[in-house]
Amino acid sequence: MAKQLGVGEQALKGLNDIESFSFPPDEKIALRFADAMTRAAGQVDDALFSELRSLFSEPQIIEIASVIGAFNYFNRVNNALRMDITLGDPETLMMRIAELLAMAPPDPAAACDLVIDLLLQGRWYGSVGIRAKEGERLVRLAHHGTEASAAQDAEGEAALRSRATRMGASELIVPIRFGAEPVGIIEIRNNHPGLIDDKDRALVERIAGLLAPHLAAHRPPA
Amino acid sequence: MGRLRRPSPDEVTPEVRDAFIKLKAERGNIPNMFRTIAHRPEIAATLLAHYRAVMGPGTVPIVLKEMLAVRVSRLNSCDY
Repeated sequence: MAKQLGVGEQALKGLNDIESFSFPPDEKIALRFADAMTRAAGQVDDALFSELRSLFSEPQIIEIASVIGAFNYFNRVNNALRMDITLGDPETLMMRIAELLAMAPPDPAAACDLVIDLLLQGRWYGSVGIRAKEGERLVRLAHHGTEASAAQDAEGEAALRSRATRMGASELIVPIRFGAEPVGIIEIRNNHPGLIDDKDRALVERIAGLLAPHLAAHRPPA
Repeated sequence: MGRLRRPSPDEVTPEVRDAFIKLKAERGNIPNMFRTIAHRPEIAATLLAHYRAVMGPGTVPIVLKEMLAVRVSRLNSCDY
């Protein structure tokens, strides 16, 4: 997020050791204040606070202290509850899925289960399912979520035949194709509109592309 | 795996769901922290409001606030 908001690569590296990087003076003092407040909030010394006060107004100091306080809160909650990192950036998510599939367990159902788990660390969907084509039928490989997909077999099979992604306000069905051959579908459903958009569509289509050779390689013998 | 389950869109209150849908439209995703805290809707709603007040436009450049957030998270060994 910091990178997206304009923090440069060098500055990001410099944040590992703030004294070794030439931050502008106001940024350096604010960062020293962050260190002091995080390490021992009761022992922030007067000299450091005077420097901070000479560079920032009272409202600005409240804002700076609030950022530092809020992230100490978030970090403690996230560390203690071992919160999964949000895979919000599509490129990071795709890299993680590609790494996973490169060393995936031989059982495609287990691999799909892990892929769905990664997808749900970055996206909030009611349900995600992956089904593979076996003969003329679609067989469930993996499914996470509270919103059932069992009633939509015909829809899934239609999507597989149509070769095109089917997208609505609360559903996304992406065919998985290995070359020209349909090998399965990824289906996402929500009871609430607003959680699936074109970026989700593009992301899930890329995931389908990664899964295709994996599903094709593990097809049951005809 | 996180120690607590993340509630699904069906399991949260309509207010929290609407707030999260708005957050997705703004930033493309909904952080797992907010999704998990939605087990307690009042805390999720006020935390999100506080997050916006603290990290949104104010009197200090947003870039500096992001740098402070990254620095604090590194000091706390929080990869999140």
